Amino acid sequence: MSGQYHRSHRWAWFFERPGYLLFMVRELTCFFVGGYLVVLLVTLGKLAGGGETALVEWLASVSGPWWLTAHLVALVAAVWHTVTWFGAVPQAMPIYLGENRLPAPIAAIVMGYGPWLTVTAVILWWVLR
Amino acid sequence: MDVKDTVMLEIFRYHPETDSEPRFQSYEVPYNEDWVVLDAINWIKDHVDGSLTHRWSCRMGVCGSCGMMVNGEPKLTCAAFLKDYYPFGIKVEPLVNFAVERDLVVDMDGFMDKLQEVKPYIIRDDVNDTSEGEYRQSPAQLAQYKQYSMCINCMLCYAACPVAGHEDEFLGPAALALGHRYNKDSRDQGQAERLDVMLAGEAIWGCTFVGECTVVCPKHVDPAGAIQQAKAMAAQEYFKGFVMPKGTGVSKGADG
Ligand code: FES
Repeated sequence: MSGQYHRSHRWAWFFERPGYLLFMVRELTCFFVGGYLVVLLVTLGKLAGGGETALVEWLASVSGPWWLTAHLVALVAAVWHTVTWFGAVPQAMPIYLGENRLPAPIAAIVMGYGPWLTVTAVILWWVLR
Repeated sequence: MDVKDTVMLEIFRYHPETDSEPRFQSYEVPYNEDWVVLDAINWIKDHVDGSLTHRWSCRMGVCGSCGMMVNGEPKLTCAAFLKDYYPFGIKVEPLVNFAVERDLVVDMDGFMDKLQEVKPYIIRDDVNDTSEGEYRQSPAQLAQYKQYSMCINCMLCYAACPVAGHEDEFLGPAALALGHRYNKDSRDQGQAERLDVMLAGEAIWGCTFVGECTVVCPKHVDPAGAIQQAKAMAAQEYFKGFVMPKGTGVSKGADG
């Protein structure tokens, strides 16, 4: 229809609402998680490659304060991604008990935090036993 | 309450026959503690400027026609109290992500088309004779979709959705939640037809789960949740389409 007014696209839309910004932060965590995975894969490659010197040299090259900081940032990003993900799971996968829907915090524990902690505990036990 | 108190409303004005660009006009409105923004706009229209154009009907959060941007936030103006903004000014604009027809009125046509696309009605392969009575449903079956049936088509979710503003193919929160409402209805048999529509292009996949549709929904419909559930359902149908012969999978027609 003629005469309508079309407002222009807002390129900086992610600054308009706190929710948009949090969404962008959640999306950007993938770079840190991805970066950490690259380091982990290279480490596994060196380990599988057999040469102990190569592994030791590689590990030395990824230590130091900058690398430690990078790993800490990646850890924070991964935890943030996990927490927001578990927060979203009850919305995406509702559990009904008859007429009643399991409340979101309980559903997040049942489907997210519970299995996460269980798996973590099993791995810790397996590594430390 | 001091009736001499006033509050300033800054209102988006656009009259296509005279304006090439919108402008903002300020109005001083008597402050009344139990007034909502819609009352203030109606007062302006009745007492100051009869040319101000806006939509409203029920004044009780049921009809869904009074949605506007109030200080940048998509709101039902009949549920936005002046006292929550007083003594500061209030900026009122038409819902974003829609073309403006006139002043605070937006073009709803695209939204209406999207609502129709998801076939928001019960589809049956086998229609019972009325003598057999109604299709019965248990409270547990009702609970599966009741939340998603509360939508009043106010379009606040479209104004809150960054994808709806950028991607025309995307059906948007309300339409997808409504489609999901029928897909979850035990009396319905039209799931495959609806999923065909949802699976096309960006219709549902445009959603990146920003989740602000759910935040602004005045009826607690949770469109974001409905869309993620519908995505899971659509993905299942899509993969079923590979393993099942045509006619039983995605493309199941009215007669299977
Ligand atoms: S006037 Fe009906 S919802 Fe506000």
